[in-house]
Amino acid sequence: MNDTSHEVAQGSHHLGGVAPTALSAHNIVKRFPGVLANDNVDFDVRAGEVHTLLGENGAGKSTLAAILCGLYQPDSGYLLRNGKPMHLSSPRAGLQHGIAMVHQHFRLVDRFTVSENVILGSRDLGFRLNRKEINEQVAAVAESFGLPIDPNAVVGELSVGQRQRVEIVKALYQGAEILLLDEPTAVLVPAEVEKLFDNVHSMTKAGKSIVFISHKLGEVVEISDRVTVLRNGRVTGHVSGKGTTDTRELARLMVGRDIELNAQRATHPIGHEVLQIRNLSLSINEVEVLSDVSFNIHAGEMVGIAGVAGNGQRELADTIAGLISPASGSITISGAMTTDRGPIQAREVGLAYVPEDRLGMGLVPSMSILDNLLLTRDRKVIVDRTSIRPEASRLIDQFEIKANGPDHLARKLSGGNAQKVLLARELSGGRSATKLLVVCSPTRGLDVGAIETVRSLLNDARSAGQAILLISEDLDEVMSLADRILVLYRGAVVHETPGATASLSTVGAAMAGLLENGGV
Amino acid sequence: MNDNIWILTSADSIAIATTLILAALGALFTERSGVLNLGIEGVMLTSAISAFLAADASGSIWLGLIIGSIVGAIMAAIHAVLSVVFRANQIVAGLALVIFGTGLANFLGKPAEGKTVTTVILPLSFGPLSDIPVIGPIVFGQDIVTYFALFIAIVSSLFLFRTRPGLELRATGDDPATVDAQGLSVAYIRIRYTFIGGLLVGLGGSWLMLAQSAAWHQASTTNGLGWIALALVVFAGWRPNRIIFGAVLFGFTLQLPFTLQAEQITIIPSAFMQMLPYLATLIALIALSRPGGRNLLGAPKALGTPFVRDER
Amino acid sequence: MRLPIRVVFDQRGEAPKRLTALVPIVSVLAALFFGAIFLLATGYSPIDTYTNMFSDGFASSRGVTDTLALSTVLICTGIAAAFAFQMNIYNIGGEGQLYLGMIGGAWAGITLGDHLPSLIMVPLVLIFGALAGALWIFVPAFVRSRLGTSEIVSTLLLTYVASSLIDYVIYTPDSFFRNPNTSFPQGRLVSASAKLQSFGDTRLYPTIFVAIILAVVLYWVVKRTEFGYRINVIADSPKAAHYAGINAKRTTMSVMLISGALAGLGGAMLIVGPYGKIEPSIVNLGYGYAGIVIAALARNNLAAIVVSGILFAGLRVGGEKLQISTDTPIHIGVMLQGAILLFALGGEAFRRYKIRVVLVRAVTT
Repeated sequence: MNDTSHEVAQGSHHLGGVAPTALSAHNIVKRFPGVLANDNVDFDVRAGEVHTLLGENGAGKSTLAAILCGLYQPDSGYLLRNGKPMHLSSPRAGLQHGIAMVHQHFRLVDRFTVSENVILGSRDLGFRLNRKEINEQVAAVAESFGLPIDPNAVVGELSVGQRQRVEIVKALYQGAEILLLDEPTAVLVPAEVEKLFDNVHSMTKAGKSIVFISHKLGEVVEISDRVTVLRNGRVTGHVSGKGTTDTRELARLMVGRDIELNAQRATHPIGHEVLQIRNLSLSINEVEVLSDVSFNIHAGEMVGIAGVAGNGQRELADTIAGLISPASGSITISGAMTTDRGPIQAREVGLAYVPEDRLGMGLVPSMSILDNLLLTRDRKVIVDRTSIRPEASRLIDQFEIKANGPDHLARKLSGGNAQKVLLARELSGGRSATKLLVVCSPTRGLDVGAIETVRSLLNDARSAGQAILLISEDLDEVMSLADRILVLYRGAVVHETPGATASLSTVGAAMAGLLENGGV
Repeated sequence: MNDNIWILTSADSIAIATTLILAALGALFTERSGVLNLGIEGVMLTSAISAFLAADASGSIWLGLIIGSIVGAIMAAIHAVLSVVFRANQIVAGLALVIFGTGLANFLGKPAEGKTVTTVILPLSFGPLSDIPVIGPIVFGQDIVTYFALFIAIVSSLFLFRTRPGLELRATGDDPATVDAQGLSVAYIRIRYTFIGGLLVGLGGSWLMLAQSAAWHQASTTNGLGWIALALVVFAGWRPNRIIFGAVLFGFTLQLPFTLQAEQITIIPSAFMQMLPYLATLIALIALSRPGGRNLLGAPKALGTPFVRDER
Repeated sequence: MRLPIRVVFDQRGEAPKRLTALVPIVSVLAALFFGAIFLLATGYSPIDTYTNMFSDGFASSRGVTDTLALSTVLICTGIAAAFAFQMNIYNIGGEGQLYLGMIGGAWAGITLGDHLPSLIMVPLVLIFGALAGALWIFVPAFVRSRLGTSEIVSTLLLTYVASSLIDYVIYTPDSFFRNPNTSFPQGRLVSASAKLQSFGDTRLYPTIFVAIILAVVLYWVVKRTEFGYRINVIADSPKAAHYAGINAKRTTMSVMLISGALAGLGGAMLIVGPYGKIEPSIVNLGYGYAGIVIAALARNNLAAIVVSGILFAGLRVGGEKLQISTDTPIHIGVMLQGAILLFALGGEAFRRYKIRVVLVRAVTT
């Protein structure tokens, strides 16, 4: 059996003159309760190439990557390393075969230094740790691939891009020949993405193989030697050759139909001012998080906040929602001052807030849909569940929420349905009719169908005259939805532009802090 | 007033501190791995009676210490299995261990009531050094377990911050998912250090029995020392070297009422003096708290949370 | 070190009903089996011990009323623990709050007595007991809600202080709470109007109804009221509570004070009921600690505590009678409590997860 499979592995992609296959996976099947995550998947990567796994959220690419690095074991199917069968019982076994994963959510201990993180789990070191020696080793590995980093820096204090570099250095230090990068650009600004791509090139030049996992077509075309597209756990196509790739074809393979996530902007006159923010500043633990932020939103207008995670977006949303008291400045919702008055007062004048953290902040996981609808409403001393029950059933129908009725527990909802419950509650008004809707990363982690639904719900709300503040790290989302775009960098608005005429490069530059003095 | 009583009190506080150092170090190793074992009091008590019975039956103090330590480790292993393998609520599991340990110790201790161990652990002799005024009895008047406890505390500090397994231990308490991603077994590390922790707590309990109490007084043998040890870990910011300092301080407040009573100083009723160490611990605990300040103190971030690999 | 097997935990969507009932029963049986090993090893007959315990605790009329009598205070400490536990607040100082309840109740019973009728005096004693219990948890509650100080350690430390306080009020000469008419130190009796009559010649007092009604009312409060809704939100996700404008500090404070008051009430019930005075031997009985086990066994369900409280009381009564009739140490009862809880915790995993043991394929390279 081993002999034939060996042949298959070599034969399937053996074109003249290319490097030998470093790692291949055959007929991989992986099932989770209720989901077939990988359905008979084949995949391989050669030495010195970038092979991309492309697919939507939930297409099964992260599962496949987890199997390739030993984190999960396939239900059936097998792996070959340099043509030889191997069984990976753990990520450690993967490392022993020179395979390492750089996770989307970094696996780094915040309180440790860079070099402590890099050597964690390394078996080659002795019992005692010689800090100086280790720092030198780590710095040497980092520099040899053009990834300069201070080995003594505490990881918790590094930027996202720097942390990613630590992850990569760690994989290289542990002798990885094959690196799996899981959505590495999701957290980076355009300038950092370029730096990452440079690093990828210097690694492939040194003979390393890169498995690049992404759902962003543009960058995939730029970086990949080959692309394998996954949809619903199956391979829907292979495309090879750099630069010759047709993005339209890739999109079709990935989504399974032609879709247009077209820009749709306000088609009706923008109304009166609903939200007014003046000179808002905020410090947390003596670190300035928001600095002198001023803007306003009108009825029927959607304002998008673009920025790299951690530049004050979440705090801005929380402050507007009355969850945090600002150091100075004022917030006015429909003419009423809500600064420092708490979330209930803000809701009483028309605020609705969909936080980024759906299950755990926006929704109480162990409570039913019904009880979750009550979360932001006036509940009386004895909670009246009977009178709200018909409304709950109506909202479940109206928002097409897949649930067994109002008593369905929130934690048993899929991501998309949980988001719909949250939107249903916030859009239907609670303590008063919704006038201002603050939404954070509304489509993060959702599948394509749910993304479309959520975006159209936001559009409907805008058409109905609600003022919307859209905060998202997905630049495409902000660019395609918002009437006006503000860029937040280090807590300050550094750029403002109408959505219709916004340029990706300018907004990207502002996000990276290259337009500190303000744009328009 | 006798000048000597302060010297004696200091010397005796170091003796009590020995139990606290060992028990707190045990708790520290356990907690550094992310496991919160509140059952220290029950573990100590069971170890104490086991040590007593073993020493009484064999006539060997050392065998008593060994048996007591092993029993401590076994008790801690119960907690480890429940919290790591079965992912039980660690707080309730710890409390269950206290109740179980107290009942078990009292049950086993029935035949020991009214008996005393014939031999106790004697202080080491440093010859003329022990006769140096003030310093002599304090520094050179202790027994081997006390010196061993101090040694272990210092070695633990080096182990935690200067070795590879120490690094892995700290990482497990802070960020088990990262340790798991490195292919290290979080469960194995947690079970191992809960077990080692139990060994140290058991040694502390055994020593308390054989060197300090020398008679079985049921639950008042430990009388809350296990809980004070837990507070001491917080007080020390999860750092072994600071435990020595805290333990001596708490040892002093624990010893003071006895000394005053022995010297028949009755300005303050003895019942109030007995409250002193618990109140002092409480005040120290409150003084170290601040809103959201757990991390400032160096508490392991994943303390008390079971690790479940995120498989959807 | 790697074993060739892996234990896989698959989380169940919903725990099967039969397991919910089965786990506590199996835990009790497993603990009894475990206890049997100890009994055998120490030369007692487990069968005799258990049959005696059972008949003394549940199967005789005297046993039943004694069991119910004891369950009165255990239900109080049980709901005290569970009321806080359900919000992930671990008040494990119910023991100390119980002592203070005795002191507070005794104070009211001695000071306010004589002139007032029973109908007013008894509730007053109970209220003062509850207030004293709440007072005893005030500092832990305050620092927990403001500074985040661990309530686990603080409430427990105060139990040791409370225990010394009991010693003080009884053993100090001329103490207000000490009986002036006896040379042997014991508590001073409360006035007759502060005492209830027991049912017939049993040791059972009407306070049992107060305890049961309280458990049911609190169950309703948690399920149906705004206060209960807040508790549930905070218990599950403090962030969601913050988001919804629920004041977690105030709710935490209220829940802890109520918890302390409930334990204190248990102490005061001992004053209006069997004791009529501060009984220093209370410090050896561990009724407050038993409340923790009772709460955990009932999975913090306040109504279910009535059942687990009575079950536990039976175990204790049986154990105590054993002490009198044979030489089996009473402590076997406490040990069994702990063992039951340990087994229940282990069993909980079987309820929440489907547990499979799978063989890991050997590596063939």
